[in-house]
Amino acid sequence: MIKLKNVSKTYFLGEEKVKAVDNVSLEIKKGEYVSIVGPSGCGKSTLMYTIGLLDTPTSGSVYIDGQDVSKLTDEELSHLRNQKIGFVFQSFNLINKFTALENVLLPTKYLKDKLDFDPQERAEELLKQFGIWDRKDFFPNKISGGQQQRVAVARALIMKPSIILADEPTGNLDTKAGHEILDLLSDLNKKLNVTIVLITHEMDIAKRTKRKIVMKDGQVISK
Amino acid sequence: MKLRNGTYHLIKSAIADFKRNKIRTFLTSLGITIGVMSVVMLIALGLGLKNYISEQFEGLGANLIMVMGGSGLGGGGDEGGGFSGPAGMFGSVIEFDERDVSSLRRIQEIEYVVPTYFKSLSIEAEDNEETGYVMGVNEEFFGLMNSEMLEGNVFDKSDLQGRTKVAVLGHNLSENLFGEAGDGAGRTIRVDNMRLKVIGVLEKTGDREMDKAAVIPYTTTFASLNPDKTFWSIYLGVTSEDDVETASEKAEETLLKRYKEDEFSITEQSEILSTVNQIFAVLNAILVAIGSISLLVGGIGIMNIMYATVTERTKEIGIRRAIGATKKDILVQFLAESVVLSTLGGLVGLLLSVLIVMAIRIFFPAAINTLAVVIAFGVSGFIGVFFGVFPAKRAADLPPIVAIKYE
Ligand SMILES: Nc1ncnc2c1ncn2[C@@H]1O[C@H](COP(=O)(O)OP(=O)(O)OP(=O)(O)O)[C@@H](O)[C@H]1O
Ligand SMILES: [Mg+2]
Repeated sequence: MIKLKNVSKTYFLGEEKVKAVDNVSLEIKKGEYVSIVGPSGCGKSTLMYTIGLLDTPTSGSVYIDGQDVSKLTDEELSHLRNQKIGFVFQSFNLINKFTALENVLLPTKYLKDKLDFDPQERAEELLKQFGIWDRKDFFPNKISGGQQQRVAVARALIMKPSIILADEPTGNLDTKAGHEILDLLSDLNKKLNVTIVLITHEMDIAKRTKRKIVMKDGQVISK
Repeated sequence: MKLRNGTYHLIKSAIADFKRNKIRTFLTSLGITIGVMSVVMLIALGLGLKNYISEQFEGLGANLIMVMGGSGLGGGGDEGGGFSGPAGMFGSVIEFDERDVSSLRRIQEIEYVVPTYFKSLSIEAEDNEETGYVMGVNEEFFGLMNSEMLEGNVFDKSDLQGRTKVAVLGHNLSENLFGEAGDGAGRTIRVDNMRLKVIGVLEKTGDREMDKAAVIPYTTTFASLNPDKTFWSIYLGVTSEDDVETASEKAEETLLKRYKEDEFSITEQSEILSTVNQIFAVLNAILVAIGSISLLVGGIGIMNIMYATVTERTKEIGIRRAIGATKKDILVQFLAESVVLSTLGGLVGLLLSVLIVMAIRIFFPAAINTLAVVIAFGVSGFIGVFFGVFPAKRAADLPPIVAIKYE
């Protein structure tokens, strides 16, 4: 499903070289629920953006479903993100001028082929399932953080992706709302067999997943 | 279905942004509104001027041919309009006589033959004096000029045969002599020691010379004013526009039997009109060019705001890229926004221009033509694309990772 081979990402800040991700090789199988854990600044987000095809590694290769993504055009990468990958961010990243429902529907506007489902129906189904259907016409700044993050998860799921990448999804939430989101994610993994990569710096949260990948200074020290 | 869905989403998205920035949207599109308004208004006024002049000409009858001594309109006379007498002409010039009139009358296509004696003179009433123009013509003159009567009647054939001392006054001359233009009918005027009875007053025509003329039978001028029995010019009229060409060719042929080629000239009314039209086409182009400068400024305003918008919405661009928008999707999104913004401005500019033109039409024949509408929509749409494409390109070329991390 996801395979990284000797992936490095180096930032050059004047004279200084920052190895955000340092020669990482790993494999994540379909249906796995994995956490990437490590202290702040160890390169978790950088690794996630690389897996999510938003960033390109300085060296090494990323394979998604066996396909070397460095061979793909920007347009093909966009389509892959649209159809296979769903993002959940710490700061929700909803678009404020759109309502909850419009935010959830946004990815469907970018599919070039025909959708194999009715977007309105699927959005309704997801929002009902997450208990926020009554907030569908609210703008993001008019609902709680927990509700916003559910909208974000619904948006990540609408295209029926095979991978969910969640970067500190509970970071901006209180313990209760955070646990609800984590329950929701593990539910998705169990029931729909969606591959989930959960990024966190809290060991407690990482413990909920079957597999932990531990990072330090850009390197994977345990997988 | 898919396209409609996409376009709908784009426009909806653009309008959502305009709502969030009402003042900015208003000010930005105001630039285009003003630009489109100035172009459309300048065209409308140019057209108005052209219409105004054409109306002046049409008052003279559309199918008019002027035969004059000398080289015609270009050779002198005043610049006031098409109907200028030879009062200001110099040099040795032939004059026509009744023989020319009868030979021209033999041309089949020609309906009206009006010999014209023309002189600027002092015209007296009981206790008033006024400089005006004495025009000696025949009774066909009134038909040729489509004259309308304010008061009384025109003279007829028997007045010409009897050399009766009657006059039909132009509107302004009658007004200046008698106070009220209509009061002239039935009164007496004095021209060159000759007493003439005013039998009618013409409606105002807008032609300076016509409105200040005392029109009398040409035979009456033979007594003392015009002992040589000659005419400065002969006006010819045809009923159908198609005959104008043939009629003027035949008239030339006829006159060439007696005069040399450079001794007279034949000018068609339509020739003058087409010259006027050419002048106005050039004038119009100049006006459009001047107006376009403000459109250009409006376009730069749009570009400026679109660059600001792109920077402001970097995060949104990042989010859209993360959920699958391609570079092209982003490009089209921002392009759609600037086109909608610019076209809205153009539409408002057009509407305002229409209102203004409707208001000034009461006293000036300004007009909105297709060109104006095409400019309002075409050019404002084009400006939206042209000035929007650079900012939109910048948005599209933002690396997704940079955009999504932007705070
Ligand atoms: N655009 C950049 N330019 C330079 N250095 C960067 C850039 N992005 C990240 N880094 C550096 O790369 C390293 C890894 O950053 P990253 O955001 O991946 O860490 P993280 O593990 O996600 O941390 P956190 O838990 O705080 O989110 C850090 O040292 C950071 O300063
Ligand atoms: Mg991070």
